[in-house]
Amino acid sequence: MSGIGAVRPSGQAGPTDQVWQRATDGFNRWVAGEPSGLDDLVAVMTPVLWHVVRSYRLSETAAEDVIQTTWLALVRRRAAILDPTAIGGWLTTTARREAWRVAQATSAAVPADDEDLAPMLPRQRSAEDAVVQRDEGDRLWAAVDGLPERCRRLLRIVAFENRPDYRELAADLGMPVGSIGPTRGRCLAKLRVALVQAGATGTAAMETGEY
Amino acid sequence: MSELSREALLGIVRDVWERRDPVPEHLVSAMQATAAMAASDLDAELMELVERSTELVGARGSTAYTLRFVHDDTDLLLRVAVDGDRSRVDGWVVPPEPMTVRALPGEVPTPYAAVVTESGRFELTDLPLGLLRLRLEPHDTTRPAFATPTFEI
Repeated sequence: MSGIGAVRPSGQAGPTDQVWQRATDGFNRWVAGEPSGLDDLVAVMTPVLWHVVRSYRLSETAAEDVIQTTWLALVRRRAAILDPTAIGGWLTTTARREAWRVAQATSAAVPADDEDLAPMLPRQRSAEDAVVQRDEGDRLWAAVDGLPERCRRLLRIVAFENRPDYRELAADLGMPVGSIGPTRGRCLAKLRVALVQAGATGTAAMETGEY
Repeated sequence: MSELSREALLGIVRDVWERRDPVPEHLVSAMQATAAMAASDLDAELMELVERSTELVGARGSTAYTLRFVHDDTDLLLRVAVDGDRSRVDGWVVPPEPMTVRALPGEVPTPYAAVVTESGRFELTDLPLGLLRLRLEPHDTTRPAFATPTFEI
């Protein structure tokens, strides 16, 4: 994967659409009595929950606890979920509420941005590939990392969630609800500029982009 | 100058975070074990069919019949009505208890669900014909779910 080559062409549905569909399928099979449905639901949604929860600046351990709490809540409160197509949103909402609660309770004790301290380990490749990939990956990372804190968090949540509830998001991020949409637009614009400045947009992504 | 679309930008954000802050390797299997263990306590108990009656209703071959299932102290009465290629189930849980009832059609796993009212009633409409099971999930989570055996509409 060469960084920019992994960018999806515009107009094509992102991978998250398949994620929600697979989550619904797993949930349906589970309530129909197939334990493997629950396995699949957990497998497809745990990575989404990870990124959503980590955007609340929780430590890895705290994030894992929040995700575990979320899955236990699902099992206990399954009867509350009448619409199987909403299962993904139910999970991310539950996880965000718990993450917010934990973050409020522990914010003084958790050092900021511990993900900055964790070095990114590139996958094992030939040395040449690895260098190229790291250059490209570093440029993309620098563009994202250089965004204002609020943009980084908002875009991470929006990127992994399916239509998050703006009211809750606004409360969590300390923003007026009406400003989430415009802020998201401004954050995307900033990222676009940062990518251009970083020279990270010279290839396929540019050609497939929209005007 | 062309610009990156919103979806392309969000794709970059996803890729960056997936590489920069990857999901810990053990996490998915650990969560699967946790969820499976919690769910195994909730295995549905099977209700028993104790009565079944068939009656002919109306013209054009539309039919209705009643079923009665019991489990411990809970009675479940169903009136199943077939009209054309769809059916509806009107149910009554005695004694009334807050619970969610899910219809689980046999082949296509697309549950239909309803919450029983205070008087114990519920209805499931526009169900496909064929094999059907109902699963009753008490909102009191210390109580296990029940399920009816499969019956055919």
